[in-house]
Amino acid sequence: MEAEKLLVMQNIQKSFNDVQVLKSVDLDINVGEVHALMGENGAGKSTLIKILTGVYPKDGGKIIYLGKEREINSRKDAANLGIGVIYQDFSLIPTLSVVQNIMLGKEKNKFGFLESKKMEQHVINLIKEYGFDINPHAIVETLSIAKRQTVEILKALCEESSLIIMDEPTASLSAKESESLFEIINRLRDKGVSILYISHRLEEVFRLADRLTVLRDGRKEAVVEKGEINPPDVIRLMIGKQLSEATASNALKKSTNEVVLKLENLCKKGLFNNVSFEVHKGEILGIGGLVGAGRTEVLRCIYGADPYDSGNIVFEGEPLPNVVNKTIQKGFGLIPEDRRNQGFVPLLSIEKNIVLTNFDKTSKNGVMNAKKEKKLGQEAVKDLDIRPNNPLIPVGNLSGGNQQKAVLGKWLCRDLKVLLIDEPTAGIDIGAKDEIYKIIENLAKDGVAVILVSSDLQELLRVSTRIVVMRKGKVFKEFASGRITQEDILMAASGIQEKEA
Amino acid sequence: MRQEKIRRLVSIALLLVLVIVFGTTSEYFFTTTNILTLLRECSVVGIISVGVSFIIITAGIDLSTGAIVGFTAMICANLLYYTNMPAQMIIVIALLIGTLAGYLNGILVTKLRLPDFIATLSTQFLFRGLALICAIRTSGVITNKVIDNRGILVMGGSISGLYLVTIVFIIVAVLGQIILKKTQLGVYTYATGANRKSAELSGIDTDKVKRSVFTITGFCCGIAAIFLMAKLGSVTPDTGTGLEFEVIAAVVVGGCAFSGGRGDIFGSVIGALFMAILSNGILKYNLPTATQLIVKGSVIVIMVVFDSLYNGYMEKKIREKSKELEELSGGEA
Repeated sequence: MEAEKLLVMQNIQKSFNDVQVLKSVDLDINVGEVHALMGENGAGKSTLIKILTGVYPKDGGKIIYLGKEREINSRKDAANLGIGVIYQDFSLIPTLSVVQNIMLGKEKNKFGFLESKKMEQHVINLIKEYGFDINPHAIVETLSIAKRQTVEILKALCEESSLIIMDEPTASLSAKESESLFEIINRLRDKGVSILYISHRLEEVFRLADRLTVLRDGRKEAVVEKGEINPPDVIRLMIGKQLSEATASNALKKSTNEVVLKLENLCKKGLFNNVSFEVHKGEILGIGGLVGAGRTEVLRCIYGADPYDSGNIVFEGEPLPNVVNKTIQKGFGLIPEDRRNQGFVPLLSIEKNIVLTNFDKTSKNGVMNAKKEKKLGQEAVKDLDIRPNNPLIPVGNLSGGNQQKAVLGKWLCRDLKVLLIDEPTAGIDIGAKDEIYKIIENLAKDGVAVILVSSDLQELLRVSTRIVVMRKGKVFKEFASGRITQEDILMAASGIQEKEA
Repeated sequence: MRQEKIRRLVSIALLLVLVIVFGTTSEYFFTTTNILTLLRECSVVGIISVGVSFIIITAGIDLSTGAIVGFTAMICANLLYYTNMPAQMIIVIALLIGTLAGYLNGILVTKLRLPDFIATLSTQFLFRGLALICAIRTSGVITNKVIDNRGILVMGGSISGLYLVTIVFIIVAVLGQIILKKTQLGVYTYATGANRKSAELSGIDTDKVKRSVFTITGFCCGIAAIFLMAKLGSVTPDTGTGLEFEVIAAVVVGGCAFSGGRGDIFGSVIGALFMAILSNGILKYNLPTATQLIVKGSVIVIMVVFDSLYNGYMEKKIREKSKELEELSGGEA
């Protein structure tokens, strides 16, 4: 029997300044299904979503929702049809309560006054109906990220959405929190709500989605049922070429014995406790663990960006000063997790961003040397293959992958000893990921000690030569050599010592 | 709302400290006359601070309030001088001028997309300039014409000791608080300040909210102009100069954060009282004005530092909270 169609988008087209971003995209979603939308960055996913939610007008094509052709010209039109969106960066009002947030923009009024009791009851009923666990009176800023997402979902449900669009919903959730999100998604599906699920994480997509649509280069590449395809084939569809060792060898490699950096019982109250490990020359030490295990915080303390309470950091046999300027002078670099806010200055050009960490090389007595700056910029663009290859373009205008290359460029021209990397490929498409891994691997080959924090298990396994797993602010387990699987890391991150045979 | 509660307690504590210090060291402080005078002194600033609270909650700022008051008062003075308009008519006109002036700020901010700071800085100059142009002159020289309209002067009076301006301040504050807490505009004011983009995604016309809060403030300035005029009995082009900063200080001491989304009218009332008691006490002690300025400045710094410390503390707490959750559920994963 043919499934009932909730949404059909046919031959959708869209151009920006003569560049055709969507050439011809079809998408259809059944009632009560989880439908995944996949594609590299630039394939047209976000443009398609923005057309569906009324942010951009479409140039051509048809949108049929619940059997009728519709014009969606504003976010309000979309909401009225029953299309709800869970945004990547949460769109809640932090100082208002859960009820106020859920009812925002659709308050019930009587004689000009708010009917607080009635709105409250409405929200409580909604929470009960879908079996959520949340306090309706809590102020949103006091809630964890995962709870805030729950509020977002409730908000969409409150608009009686029949389709909820989720854009990278697990990006900032821990594994545990993601699990409960998956439960929620399954419950929504059982209630007949359709989900359009956008994610770079293949294993999630394969777990949740009933069908998936793959976009490439502004066209629909394929629509497949879950059972009909395996992950490597999806990747192949997305990038249109065979990926070089995408799921590379999982064996950890032996590195040199020369210790570059040593942490001894590093403590910071409430964040991490007695963290000790060594990093050798030329190795890539992967740090695995759930979000909130204290990994980012340890990196920041090593780099000198945050103070720690007790313990020692020893670099080449001497204590390392806890000041950013000094660690940089000693050959440290940091690729921060929050690329947009901490990694680069969006309005400055690639060249100027690179100069930011290299004033000691490009200036004399505080006077900058334009020639030297230009040289640094050109070298970085060339060495890292940043596209477009013009060092004068503001970094904010680049794609995610190229932005990250520019951030790497800030350090590559230095005499680097230790590079601290935090979630280097979050939100970056698969092709660019591969290039970034190669850059990291080449650095290690040149003798740089790399510490890589990543929540992407495939990434951790692919790049690291040794892995430690942190859990609740402590080093829980070290994997020094031999074969290791994603399961091993997840078990350790969740606190299970040994796999049952 | 924990932050708000603590902040409220801090404001009240500061107020109490002042009351206790001045109350115990001066016999004069707790006399009925002085208390009534105090309430009168805080009322003009207080009335404007009701409007400005709305603006600051939307993460905005208004530097033009003092100039709007001055301009409105000057127009009224002209009408009183050159016409025989009844006081009621003058009052309606004052409210109208104030409201329109506030609306103009709103238009500059929402239609011409000027930042609040720049828009209201320009209108500050604009209204002050206009007040100067229409100042009453005798043979070319600006003269200070005494207002002798009985209807207006009555506004400066009192009912069984309680000054009219104080009564109006209380009414305006209560109305403001009701609008802020019990109506859609109130919720939208918080939403616009705390996260404007999200508010827009929820279908809120934040431009309309912005225009509304500036207009409300203009209206409050109109009220303030009438009472200031009645109290002073005359109007000069300088009337109301510096008032805007007194108001902003009162609102900030009262708990509205510059980052928006926090605070309420009740807090601003406390702030206005604080400012008035400080001036009053220091005047009574014959201490130099410098003392007053330095104390005011320091208190504002303390309040803002408190806000940022609290935000840091809050972030840490949420972190620890999620940590506890993981700890609780860790075993079963």
